Amino acid sequence: MKERASLSDGAAVERVLAGDTECYGVLVERYRSRYARYAASLCGDADAAADALQEAFVRAFDSLTTCRDPNKFGSWFARILTNQCHNMRTRTRTHVALDELDVAGSDGADAQLTSDEIGNAIGKALEALTREQREAFVLKHIEGYSYAEMADILDAEVDALKMRVYRAREVVKEQLRDFA
Amino acid sequence: MSNDNQMNADVHQILDGERAEDGDTHAQAAAAQFQNAVDGYAAGLNVPGREVDWAVMKVIRARQGKMRSFGWWSWLVQPRMVQLRPALAAAAVLTAVGLGVSLRQATLSNVPGVTDETPVVLVRFELPAPGAQRVSLAGSFNGWNPLEHRMAVSPATGLWTITLPLPSGEHQYLFVVDGEQWVPDPLAHAQVDDGFGTTNSVIVVGPRGVVRS
Repeated sequence: MKERASLSDGAAVERVLAGDTECYGVLVERYRSRYARYAASLCGDADAAADALQEAFVRAFDSLTTCRDPNKFGSWFARILTNQCHNMRTRTRTHVALDELDVAGSDGADAQLTSDEIGNAIGKALEALTREQREAFVLKHIEGYSYAEMADILDAEVDALKMRVYRAREVVKEQLRDFA
Repeated sequence: MSNDNQMNADVHQILDGERAEDGDTHAQAAAAQFQNAVDGYAAGLNVPGREVDWAVMKVIRARQGKMRSFGWWSWLVQPRMVQLRPALAAAAVLTAVGLGVSLRQATLSNVPGVTDETPVVLVRFELPAPGAQRVSLAGSFNGWNPLEHRMAVSPATGLWTITLPLPSGEHQYLFVVDGEQWVPDPLAHAQVDDGFGTTNSVIVVGPRGVVRS
């Protein structure tokens, strides 16, 4: 297993395709740990994220032959996972309009938010974003990806991603009114 | 367009990494405060753990086990890397289309008892699990996908149930409790070893109902 764990993505994919199914476990562990927080942020809770991850890994296994560059398995998998997270969110939630949210409290813009309230406010703000804004914001500000890396995962132009993140920040900022 | 709640353009640029420190301490502080708030949110998230790894491999191993039982058929359905030249690919597509039509005709007209409207029987599955948060049914009839058939619970009894239309034949299945525990049906008539150290429950469905469960 240690020998498998040190395999590159490309080598692991090739071994799976050659019949070494257990080698897929290396990729699962590697990318579950890398994308668990991303999935939880997109889905809104850990249970839905676990379901999305599981479904995404099984789908990725089923269509592994379509992974054109096995060395970029991570980016390819992230695209599958992103779609699964959005599907899971659609199944379990309804879109929340921003003006329906009540997270900043009734004390107005000057109220000081506690850390729990800040977390709650950001979570609710994420719910109000479009799917494109949410995935871009999460990759940028929670996962810390560069715009070039985001473009690879989300298959979008850097300028478009900057605009999505810009708008998403404004929505989050709206919920955190005592930030400049 | 702008209002008091809008973020300063300088703050956006700092957050995008496009503006070096240039002495605008107010914008830098605002950007840091924003990112700190997001970091705090991220740190408080509950994230899935190793149970996902186990569940994924369970599904994949179960599928592989089923493919082994299909013998040569598994060669056709197992993922593998192939390379085709364009001319050969076109010939392969034409051959596959012709073969598909032939197989469909054979399937529908030459095999006794198999028609477009193969009869199914409604089968109710039950699992008493009062402490579970969610239970689903995975089996040979849904590719061992634990997400496809989620069971409903009676809050009063803690009994999880689902009713599925199943075609005649033998089906293997397990209950998946809270997404991580794969549990055999304690009421099943038969249990079989799946070849990976786990026991699957078995149900046999006939044209007129459940033969054995």
